[in-house]
Amino acid sequence: MSFRRKLLAVFALTVFLSVAAVTWIVSAITRRAFERSNEERTTALVAQFRREFNRRGEDVVQHVQAIADSESVTRMALALAQGSPDYSAYVTEARNIAENQQLDFLEFVNSEGTIVSSAQWPAKFGYKYSPLQAIQSAPKDAFLKQEELPENATLALSAVRAVGAGERPLYVIGGRRVDKEFLASLELPSGMRALFYQNLGTGFAPQLLIDPSGSLQNPDRVAPLIQQVLLQKQESTEIVHWSSAAADDETVHAIPLAGQDRQTLGVLLVGNSLRPYVDLLQHIRSAAMLVGGASIVLAILLSGWAAGRVTRPVEQLAEAARAVADGNWSTQVEVTSSDELGELAAAFNRMTHELLEQKEQLVQTERVAAWRELARRLAHELKNPLFPLQLTVENLVRARQHSPEQFEEVFRESSSTLLAEIANLKAIISRFSEFSKMPQPQFQRIDLNDVVQNVARLFQAQLRLPDGPPILCTLALGEGMASIAADPELLHRAISNLVLNAMDAMPGGGTLTLRTRQDGEHALLEVSDTGTGLTPEECERLFTPYYTSKSHGTGLGLAIVQSVVSDHGGKISVQSQPGHGTTFLIELPRDHDKIQPPGQSTGATR
Amino acid sequence: MRRIVLPLLVASSLVWAAVSSAATRPRYGGTLHVAIRAAPASLDPADPVQANSTAAQNISRLVFDTLVILDDRGQAQPALASSWQSEPGGQRWQFMLRTGVKFHNGSAFTPDTVAASLRASNPTWKVFPATDSVIIECDAAVPDFPAELALPRNAIAKRDGNKLFGTGPFAIADWQPGKKLTLTSRDEYWGGRPFVDSIEIEMGKSLREQMISLDLGKADLVEVAPEQAHRAAAEGRQVESSAPVELMALVFSRERQSPEDGKPREALALSLDRSSLNTVLLQGGGELAGSLLPNWLTGYAFLFPTGPDLPRARELRDEAQQVPIWTLGYDPTDPVARVVAERISLNARDAGLKLQLSAANSADVRLVRIVLPSLNARVALTGVAAGLGLTPPKFTGNSVSDLYAAESTLIQSQRVIPLLHIRSSYALSAIVKDWGQDPDALWRLPEVWLGTEKP
Repeated sequence: MSFRRKLLAVFALTVFLSVAAVTWIVSAITRRAFERSNEERTTALVAQFRREFNRRGEDVVQHVQAIADSESVTRMALALAQGSPDYSAYVTEARNIAENQQLDFLEFVNSEGTIVSSAQWPAKFGYKYSPLQAIQSAPKDAFLKQEELPENATLALSAVRAVGAGERPLYVIGGRRVDKEFLASLELPSGMRALFYQNLGTGFAPQLLIDPSGSLQNPDRVAPLIQQVLLQKQESTEIVHWSSAAADDETVHAIPLAGQDRQTLGVLLVGNSLRPYVDLLQHIRSAAMLVGGASIVLAILLSGWAAGRVTRPVEQLAEAARAVADGNWSTQVEVTSSDELGELAAAFNRMTHELLEQKEQLVQTERVAAWRELARRLAHELKNPLFPLQLTVENLVRARQHSPEQFEEVFRESSSTLLAEIANLKAIISRFSEFSKMPQPQFQRIDLNDVVQNVARLFQAQLRLPDGPPILCTLALGEGMASIAADPELLHRAISNLVLNAMDAMPGGGTLTLRTRQDGEHALLEVSDTGTGLTPEECERLFTPYYTSKSHGTGLGLAIVQSVVSDHGGKISVQSQPGHGTTFLIELPRDHDKIQPPGQSTGATR
Repeated sequence: MRRIVLPLLVASSLVWAAVSSAATRPRYGGTLHVAIRAAPASLDPADPVQANSTAAQNISRLVFDTLVILDDRGQAQPALASSWQSEPGGQRWQFMLRTGVKFHNGSAFTPDTVAASLRASNPTWKVFPATDSVIIECDAAVPDFPAELALPRNAIAKRDGNKLFGTGPFAIADWQPGKKLTLTSRDEYWGGRPFVDSIEIEMGKSLREQMISLDLGKADLVEVAPEQAHRAAAEGRQVESSAPVELMALVFSRERQSPEDGKPREALALSLDRSSLNTVLLQGGGELAGSLLPNWLTGYAFLFPTGPDLPRARELRDEAQQVPIWTLGYDPTDPVARVVAERISLNARDAGLKLQLSAANSADVRLVRIVLPSLNARVALTGVAAGLGLTPPKFTGNSVSDLYAAESTLIQSQRVIPLLHIRSSYALSAIVKDWGQDPDALWRLPEVWLGTEKP
């Protein structure tokens, strides 16, 4: 991964984590604030409900008391105390009085517990009120009571009063329905609602859940909470998921409401809508995503700019370093800043400048050294023939003092010697000349084995000289060798030089081995001898022009070989140990692309 | 002094006698204002909707006449038919038409018109007009055919497009269906001109609105619920009640499937406390009913038991292998039906039976009220059975015992449980004089005249 991408990733991750952390913190704070607010609102609503409950209870008590104190009821009580009731006289009495007193429920029960008149169930006259003890032990205040109706039952806020002194009182039982209207009278803050569950059966029944708004859907969702409260008879709070939408969720606080005998007859449910919280949370998340997105875009731009500021000089330095590696030592980079990168660029420039100077110095030094070596070699090569020439000429001068016959003989011998040495000098000069005029190879498709066999054939006679050292030439030519692109004449000369060196390395005889083989796209040639071998130092300097380990060499043979191999795009290496012979390995590419059509030529002509 | 006082006394006595005589002697004129709860959309006597409406029958009698009317004993008397005769077998009847009768539009009362009217009311009859009579042929022998013709649905009407014309004592002056009907008396009525000049009938008024109208002097004749009659009278109003002419009963929607199926039905019948229903809920506005027809009509109704027998009811309930939960339907527009149904449900609960109240029509058991259709017992029983959806009664003879047997068979079918026979009651203003009702609670308005007393 590039530095630019790493920088971008770090920037983006930092921004993302920062925004996420801020969002989480804000969400947590918001949630706590909402929870506190919900608790306060619930407490206030419950208190309001209790006030309303008590107020309505007092109202019911007042109305029931007024009924009990009325003249008609007093007359009824007196009449009933004197004999069996005439139901026909009272059958509509309870209903009429209840309508006047705005009560939903009203019943007159005599001292035997018989219903004399009932507003909510007029047909129930003559039936027993059950249980009578509940009336006799009823509190003075209003209480929650289950009222039986012809088709069902409901809850009422009821009060009981006894009319008439003595042993046969008439009981007045009046009440008002705890219904939608009751709940609707509560002043609910926005986002809150009150539900009331009437515990009239053994199990949860949706129709017993009163919702003043009438918009309650899926009432079964609140059933577990109601059942828990009915079972434990304790307040409880739960988040109710009314639908799959989170905005419909509600925190519902359930409060059990007990009747006269402490049985839980109702459950008040105070719902706090989570919609504002969910909406706010959604807004926070949206804002966080917006800010996060914008920040990430900004981070990308900033990281791009910063990475550009940092990596562009680095990339320029890397490019310059590659140029230096390719040999362009004069490469310089632009110093665009005065910071560490600028110092690095300046140091690089100084380094390349120093390298260039040192290179020129080295070249100069090598050139001087080469000239010195050339001079030494020339002096050495030329000194060898000059010394016999000097001796021969001095011998001729001395021979003039001898007899003519002797002089003639000396002159003839000296002339022969002089000519031979002069020829030797010409040969030396010719080799130097040849080396300076090394031609460019003329590539053609050849078989390496053919060249090797030609060389072996050329030296066959020389190896068989009777006065020469006994050298055995062995050919190990690879089969199926692919043709290569090469100049057969130059290659022949190079191999010949290696063979000559091998023969020189085996003055006492030995084995000369010429081996070829195919290695992928390369053809390999090994020239091995079993001669004296070379030291590692000799191996390192072996291909230096004018270097020779022999007493009579010019030091140009292996230089010519390396030049030929290099011109063919190949490589030459040497492996040798003193006393164990030497092996030269030439590696030549097939490289048929170098083959030129007939009539074209490159480089110098031979 | 005595000379002066004595003539003054004589003179004042004569004036007082004259005034008193004027106050009790019928006089012509005035408009009778009537308010009723029913709101009939049609006055056509052939309209089957009118069959079970006393108010509709009352109105029909003011505008239309029948060929025959029934007297208080249920005997056929001449009306538009002056006489009649039947061929042996009782399948073919000839009714001689009264002469000099005209319809309200002035057209002549002819056999053709009568035949057309009867055909419209009874499509299965074969009615042939003759010179001065009509001949009616029935599919089977009908011994009480004249009583059948006295039913309001067989009143003679001349239909002229959308207009209806009768021969009754009053003609239609203004008709707003379901709202108001104005009638004017006919001087040329064959039975004699009624005393009042006109009658205005306000329709669709609740009993409470009617009572308020009466108290405010806006109505002279209003209906009173039987359970309110006692109270209305106690409050000083003039209340007139008829004989019990309306049957309140429980009717099962299905026939009894098996004797086993009849046990819960019998248990229900034995659990009912009819006395409480009558004395408390209806404030004594009826009589206990164990039969379909009232005792005053048949004389044998007391033979049918009406008292509860809870122990036996519980036994039958325990004997029943399967005790169904019935739905009890009632007419929600009837102010007393709901509380009666609730009481029945309580009584049934005492016997271990369960009845669920329902205002829907498709209930297992329905609480129904049906008006006695005729003063003829046989025709009345047939009409009641048809009105309740029961199998038509089969009479083996014309005697009372045959009638009793037919009615007993209907009761024993356990499709119906009679509860009460209820009176019809009306409250009258003080100016209404000579008020009268037939035994079947139908008004005799032609005989009514209006006094001058202010309420």
